[in-house]
Amino acid sequence: MSELVVDKISLSFGGLQVLNEVSLSVNEGELLALIGPNGAGKTTVFNCISGLYRPTGAVRFRGQDIIGKKPHEVAALGIARTFQHGEVFARLNVADNLMAARHLAIRSNPLSEMLGLPGARRQEREHRAQIARILDLCDLTALADTPVTDLPYGTQKLVGFARALALGPSLLLLDEPSAGLTREEREDLAYYILKTKAELGIAMIWIEHDMQMVADLADRIHVLDYGRSLADGAPEAVLNDPGVIKAYLGTV
Amino acid sequence: MSDLSPMRVVTALVAIAALIALPFLASGATLDIANQILLATIGAIALMLLTGFAGQISLGHAGLLAAGAFTAGILAQEIAAPFWIGIPAAALTGALLGVIFGLPSLRLRGIYLAVSTLALHFLVVYVGGEYETRRGFSTGILIDPPVVFGFEFWDPVAWYPVLLVVAVLVWLLARNLLRSRTGRAWAAIHDTEPVAAALGINVARTKLWAFVISSAITAMAGALFAYYRGFVSIEAFSLFVTIQYVAMIIIGGMGSLLGAVLGAAFVTILPHAIEAASGVLPSSGGLAGSIFAMNYAAFGLIMIAFLVFEPGGLVGILRRIGGKRGTR
Repeated sequence: MSELVVDKISLSFGGLQVLNEVSLSVNEGELLALIGPNGAGKTTVFNCISGLYRPTGAVRFRGQDIIGKKPHEVAALGIARTFQHGEVFARLNVADNLMAARHLAIRSNPLSEMLGLPGARRQEREHRAQIARILDLCDLTALADTPVTDLPYGTQKLVGFARALALGPSLLLLDEPSAGLTREEREDLAYYILKTKAELGIAMIWIEHDMQMVADLADRIHVLDYGRSLADGAPEAVLNDPGVIKAYLGTV
Repeated sequence: MSDLSPMRVVTALVAIAALIALPFLASGATLDIANQILLATIGAIALMLLTGFAGQISLGHAGLLAAGAFTAGILAQEIAAPFWIGIPAAALTGALLGVIFGLPSLRLRGIYLAVSTLALHFLVVYVGGEYETRRGFSTGILIDPPVVFGFEFWDPVAWYPVLLVVAVLVWLLARNLLRSRTGRAWAAIHDTEPVAAALGINVARTKLWAFVISSAITAMAGALFAYYRGFVSIEAFSLFVTIQYVAMIIIGGMGSLLGAVLGAAFVTILPHAIEAASGVLPSSGGLAGSIFAMNYAAFGLIMIAFLVFEPGGLVGILRRIGGKRGTR
């Protein structure tokens, strides 16, 4: 059963057509790699799914059309995302970055929080326990109280990944999680992605430029080029597709 | 947060001892300044929540103080309402105005937001002034001192413990809030709104809460000010008051509750310090008339100096001193 179906979405900025009838889908627990040359429209697809842009066509999450929903409403449905540059909350430490993503799940109001009422305190404790599991999954437990700005770039991006998991999503959009990471950090990231898939069974759409990683990890690959869907299928088939090779290398 | 180094414990104990001993040692005039600092602390914490934590700029602070003071004043004047009605009513008025002050923040930010809150400041001041003239209180409204079990709160000595307790309570409420869901959402939208939204935070609602909570506390401070002075006049809430509060949170240190307290103390004491200094100078006769001008000028210079040389404010300086010992 498809978790998310993107059905012929098109988007233009003024005279520039950024997406042209892009269609893709991801199944429950599936890891779909979304690849394509720079400017192909990969992040734009994410922005359409997460409610930042409003394309024509349809985006259906578990059968429900979500185009026109506000970003926080999309998140409330269980769609979380990471950002190319991490975009962690600089004013919060690692644990509170994750807690910020529990916002929807925490049931309390400003008054009970101010007064420190038992209900608000219990919520806080329960959700701290929830994020402790995610910190553990991403080996961030030792850094829980560290201000994120004290962390190296690669670790900040990992915090961004853990923060998206903290939302408790059933679909995760990963926007170039490996960009700017060292070789070693990439290997760790691959491990966390596989672990997330195995332990939490979350469907993922994963924008990636590292073709080796894609070939190793992805269940399926979808290729975008100049805002169009170019190919879709199993990794070995897609990566050997002459059209895809041409898009990446120019004329062969 | 909870690193109880011996140094911090000692500092805290000394501060608590000094706060308790003050009314027994200080003169009435000194205690009046202490009370003004406590009132300013409440207002500064409120503005710090809004600007220093939630990242929303407002130039409506004096307008909200005025709204609180006038709510208490009008209720006392018209229906002889006691303080235990006046203060909650002021907080409620503040909360309602907070929604209105906050609405522009859903569309505007930065300087545009500042200007729209400024417009609301003038609106509140206009309404207050109209009330004064229509009802014939052209110089202001008199309020009887609060009475609790037959005890009248009219002198600074009686007020000091009350204001100290309220200021400490407001601090604790603010601290609790900042360590909870709402405080984290404020930090998130302060950093980047689209990312906060993508993680499920309703940015509009989060901003409005910031305005509502900050405005309610501010209006309550305004009402306390009215009861403390026993008198409300719209002249007391000029734009300069707003600038003073903005100065408090900048000089104290953005994004810190301790900064709000230090800033409130600094800005409240400054004019008295200038006055004292000008008394010492030989040509005091000529300077006495220009104390107000000197006060304004000193503000401007100190604010610019902090913005340029110490954006972390007084708290930044404290942290730097503490940081030498390798603590955070």
